[in-house]
Amino acid sequence: MKTAVTYVVLLVLLVGAVALALLVGHGSLADPTLRSTLLGLRATRVGAALLAGAALATGGAVVQGVFRDPLVSPSILGTTAGASLGGQLAMLALVSGSPLASLAVSAEMVLPLGCLVGAGLSLAIVLSFCRERTGTLTLILTGFILSSLFLALSSFITSLAQDSWDMSRAVVSFTLGGVGGVSPRQLVAAAPLVGIGIVACWLWSDNLDLLLSGEDEASSLGVEVGRARRWAVTWVAVLAAAAIAVGGNVGFVGLIVPHTLRPLVGVRHRRLIPACALLGGAFLVACDVIARVFPSRSELPLGVITGIIGAPVFLFLLARSQREVSHG
Amino acid sequence: MADGALIEAQRLTVRRGNHVLLDEISFSLGAGQVVSLLGPNGAGKSTLLKTLAGLLPFSGELRLDGRQASQLDRAERARLVAYVPQHSALDVALPARDVVAHGRFAHRDVWGRPARSDESAIDHAMDLTDTRRLADRSFNRLSYGERRLVLLARALATEARVLLLDEPTAALDVTHALGLLHRLRDLASRGALVMVALHQLNEAAQTSDRALLLAGGRLVAAGPATEVISAEPVRRVYGVEMVPAAQFGFRMPTQKDATP
Repeated sequence: MKTAVTYVVLLVLLVGAVALALLVGHGSLADPTLRSTLLGLRATRVGAALLAGAALATGGAVVQGVFRDPLVSPSILGTTAGASLGGQLAMLALVSGSPLASLAVSAEMVLPLGCLVGAGLSLAIVLSFCRERTGTLTLILTGFILSSLFLALSSFITSLAQDSWDMSRAVVSFTLGGVGGVSPRQLVAAAPLVGIGIVACWLWSDNLDLLLSGEDEASSLGVEVGRARRWAVTWVAVLAAAAIAVGGNVGFVGLIVPHTLRPLVGVRHRRLIPACALLGGAFLVACDVIARVFPSRSELPLGVITGIIGAPVFLFLLARSQREVSHG
Repeated sequence: MADGALIEAQRLTVRRGNHVLLDEISFSLGAGQVVSLLGPNGAGKSTLLKTLAGLLPFSGELRLDGRQASQLDRAERARLVAYVPQHSALDVALPARDVVAHGRFAHRDVWGRPARSDESAIDHAMDLTDTRRLADRSFNRLSYGERRLVLLARALATEARVLLLDEPTAALDVTHALGLLHRLRDLASRGALVMVALHQLNEAAQTSDRALLLAGGRLVAAGPATEVISAEPVRRVYGVEMVPAAQFGFRMPTQKDATP
């Protein structure tokens, strides 16, 4: 009953956030000459925020299950930093007029493709360490080292980009996250990745549930632990890449959304994953509305909004769970 | 292979780096008995149970219900051998019944759909362990003893014929410990092979049909419990003298006790 009510509330929140995002923003919908253009632009933003939020929140629920650690987010695998680096390199190639950027794809698809290639390469490195008897600590350390390496390279690219004002602005904007510059074609490219990724994770819910008992117990109960981990790592990387391709580097969504929902829908992934997709989407759409309407000279980066909201929410959830532990 | 043996190990050896954890252990065990796994700390009891559960690589030969262990896939093995660790890593707000339902994972079809027999198997496992009353309670809110029973129910829900338990009575009070050992005897009488690592020799003597005594990764003695838990092997392995008759002991109450 509690779960059903939660799902209804999540659906209402999602519909409300989408309606608000379509109605609110610069420009008046009362003007019939602007209405369809404004609605089209806003719908693209809503779609991007929905996809990125759903992907990051689902990825968060899955990695928290695999690592049995509620403090991890999809970025722990290093594939997020890989996707981000890939996106930055793609932008660099595009702005510098590299022939690589115009080989077979249009300019607007270079960034998402860069993110996918970056995530794919980092995923290949992670998977090469993800064998049957590899401990989760090795995976976490591999992800940490990859993240550190890719962040260092990203900083290097940012320093290179300072030579060009446009490039510098684009890189910083991408790093801070935002759905303002997403095109419908980018959305169409990212949507199947997010959809398939969420369904793929949901189909392995039972494996993820059993991994909550630890690898030895899960294995003794019939889980092919190595295969389950590789499956989860692969789809989390796909989700992170798709999210970054349409939303840039947005933090905290994958951390706080699963945390918020576990007390409401329980720890079973079959219920948790769809709820995360709904709330993650609604949360990021709402954050994008705030980014658009916040009175400032330029639009606030989405990553800044999620950070400002996410950090205190996370601390609150942490304090609540600590209280529950201390009160038994 | 011995007729009817559920577990047959030949020169079973487990290494970690250059360190030999189990050294050429051979034994054969059939259904319908409780087998105690004895030995001081570090003797290799937990290592042997984990190896039988398929959690550690080994050399030598291991046959489970007549089949080479290496030829069984994870699900086949889980349907044949259930393992209850000494310390479970599970510590989440999952209803106890859902935890027991994890024991049915290996019975799912290729699409991951539950088997028809799942509900009855879960109910039966919870009845055997008297955990139906805990069904809706969160696992992480249960007492240690209650958790042990729920984990035993999870193992029973697999309907495996071999049950491996690593020090199930550790940290249990006398009531829970005796109750659990009583249930293990009951399971053996229903045809299961129950292999249980124990520290308390008196518990082992009261509960087991057979015993394996390990020391330093080697099998020192194997046979009927009354022979293995006797003065000479105990002195040799533990360095203590057995007292022939305990001053007092405990057992589960019977109907006779209730009669005035």
